[in-house]
Order: sequence, then C-alpha cells, then structure tokens
Amino acid sequence: MKNLNLKIFLIIITGSLYSTTSLANNNLGEWKPQIVEKMYILPPKHLNKVLNNDFNKSILAVNLQNTDNKIKNKIEKISELKSMLEGASKEESFEIKHQIIINKRDYIKDMNNLLLMKKQKLDTKKIFFKKIQRNMKRNSFKSKASSKFINNKKSAMKRSESLDFKILENTSYNLSKRSKYFEQYQINKDAVMKLKLAIEKHPMNNQNILAKDPANKMEAIRNYVHNLETEMAVLAMKEKMINYMAKIVALDAMSLVENVAFAADGQNEIIQTNFNDPVNVISVFTN
Amino acid sequence: MSKFIKTITIILSITAATSVNANSLDTLERERAKALALVLNKSISIGDRKKQLENSKLKLLDLERITINSKDINKNPSYQTIKAFENFDFTFLVHSSLEKEKSFSISWLEKLGLTTENLMNTRVIRK
Repeated sequence: MKNLNLKIFLIIITGSLYSTTSLANNNLGEWKPQIVEKMYILPPKHLNKVLNNDFNKSILAVNLQNTDNKIKNKIEKISELKSMLEGASKEESFEIKHQIIINKRDYIKDMNNLLLMKKQKLDTKKIFFKKIQRNMKRNSFKSKASSKFINNKKSAMKRSESLDFKILENTSYNLSKRSKYFEQYQINKDAVMKLKLAIEKHPMNNQNILAKDPANKMEAIRNYVHNLETEMAVLAMKEKMINYMAKIVALDAMSLVENVAFAADGQNEIIQTNFNDPVNVISVFTN
Repeated sequence: MSKFIKTITIILSITAATSVNANSLDTLERERAKALALVLNKSISIGDRKKQLENSKLKLLDLERITINSKDINKNPSYQTIKAFENFDFTFLVHSSLEKEKSFSISWLEKLGLTTENLMNTRVIRK
C-alpha cells in the first residue's frame, strides 16, 4: 500500500509539473542539409527530392523514425491495458490505471518530441528554400545591373562565331599558321554544338519548364515555403492538443489518487476528526 | 619582429594573389598595345613590320577569342571589361578587321577617323 502511495505521489509530481515547455528536448538530433550550391539550379521538384533524400540520411530522421515506432508501441500497450481493466479486481484496476497513466505520460513525451523533430525538419527546409529565394533575388538583381554588359558580350560572341568560317577559309590563316588554340577551339566547339543539340532534343528538357524560367522557379519555391508554413501551423495546433492531453493525464492521476485514498479510508474505517474546527472538539470540552 | 614578418607575408601573399588574378582581357590589352606600337613604329622596315604583325595577329586572334568566350569575366565585370565590350572594334582588332576584310592597322585607323579621304580633305590653316 505504501508502495502504491509512493507511486501515486510520483505521478502527481510529474503530472502537475507536466507542460510541453518542460518537455523541450535539445538532444533530438540535427539535420544540416549537405547540398552543394550547384544543386540550387535544379528544378524545385527535383531539389525537394534531393533535400528529402538528404534528410533521410540525417540523425534527425533516424530519431524521428525511432520515436514514431515508440509511439506506436505505447498506443498498443495502452489499449492492451485498457482491455485488461474489465474483470480486474479493485486493487488490480488501480495498478492497471496507474500503468495506463504512466504509458500515457510517456506517449505525450514521445509525441511532443516527435512534433519538435518534425518542426525542426520543417524549419530547416524553410531556411533552405529561403536561402535559395535570397540567392535567386540577388542573382536577378545582379543580372539586371549587368544586363548591358551581358548583351554586349553575347553580341561579341555572335560576331566572333560568324567569323569562324572566314578564319578557316582565309588564306592568311592557313593550316600551318593556325594556332593550337584555334584547332582545339574548333574541335571543342563542334562537340559543344552536338551536346547542345542533344540537350534540346532530350524529352526531359521539354518537360523541365520550371528550370528554364526563373520566374516560374521562384513561384514554385514560394509555393514550397507556403506549404511548409501551413505544415508548421498544423504542428502548432497539434502541440496545443498535446498540452490538453497532458492536462487530462494530470487530472486522471489526481482522480486516481483520490480514489486510492477513499478506498484506503474505507478499508481502515478510521474516521479522522478535524480538531482544527471548534465544532468537532465541543465534546472534548463538554464531556 | 615576428609581427612585422607576419604583416609582410600577408601583404606579399595578397599582392601575389592579385597578380595571379590577372584576366584574359589584361593579356589581350598588353598584346594589343604591342601590336599598335608596331604599327606606329617608324624605325623598322616594312618587311619586318609585316612579318612581326603577322605573328602578332595570330596571337591577338587567340587572345581575342579567349576573352570573348571567357566566362570568368561575367562575374563582377570591372569598368575596364564593360568598356572593352562596349567598343568591340577597338578591343578586338583582328576580329573587327576580319569582318571588314581589311588589315587590322587600317581597320583601327579608320575607326579612329584617319581615312585616306579624311586626310586628303584636310587643309593646313593658320590660327
């Protein structure tokens, strides 16, 4: 009996101090995306895939999976304990209820950790996409500033390309006089042209409209950020739910304590008198 | 003393790094200056000039092509680079001369406004 009281006392202490803030755990593992900056040019859909693959390799993902499994086990255990309640004696039912409360407490703890991990994942993703957004904005600003130069350079390249034939045909630039650079230039240029044609003919190139148009890419990334923010808002609501669950568990624990106390009173049949009330001590004075 | 050595080392390494960063445009500019000096050099024979200009042309052609196709200069182009591409005919002498099908010295002089016609039309006047 003493043991049971001690357990109940512990439940009350843990239950009353229960709040999601106290559950904050910093050892949830971390995820730092290991994606090189060159990957940023990928279309958002592929980028998101790469990001998810990167996450799956992180410690945070492993911890998330483990916690998920733990939660499933806890729920199974709680329903198992609940099924045991029917047909149990009074003493046994107290013990089972006690076990249910402990499991519920663990479930809330794990669920809270799970939500924190999911939040961390979403936060990291959001930061990543925001970084890409910033880079794109900076690049578009830079390209606007240097657009005149880029146009001049493009026209210079066109003019020089149009002279390739002339240089090859020109008698003053015959084979013996042609430089090593120009010979290599011709070979490489032909190879580049072949590759360019292959890229244009590639079926994925036609599908990949987002990668071609930076405005579309920006819009797609904005949508990803919006989705992440929505998911985070849903998580915040779930956190609130966990808070309420914790309160219910604390109330359950208190109710169990009361029930145990009443049962103990009934067993011992000792009527304790409150001597602090003068009404109860009148007999002491009168008799 | 050790601080002084450290400072000197840092300054020298920075200087060395900047010299390494010299881009293709700088090399082209140097070669172009040499070629133009050759055009304006009165102390060499016509034959020598022709021979040396031919070599210079080949070098310039390569350097011009390298500069035009260089992607490094796209990032943060300097004022000098921007101006170089604004004035294609002055910067890329050999390319410009091939377009006009003239020798690059004539093409350059014409671009400056020193054509035979202009020179013939000039009059000596006293101010």
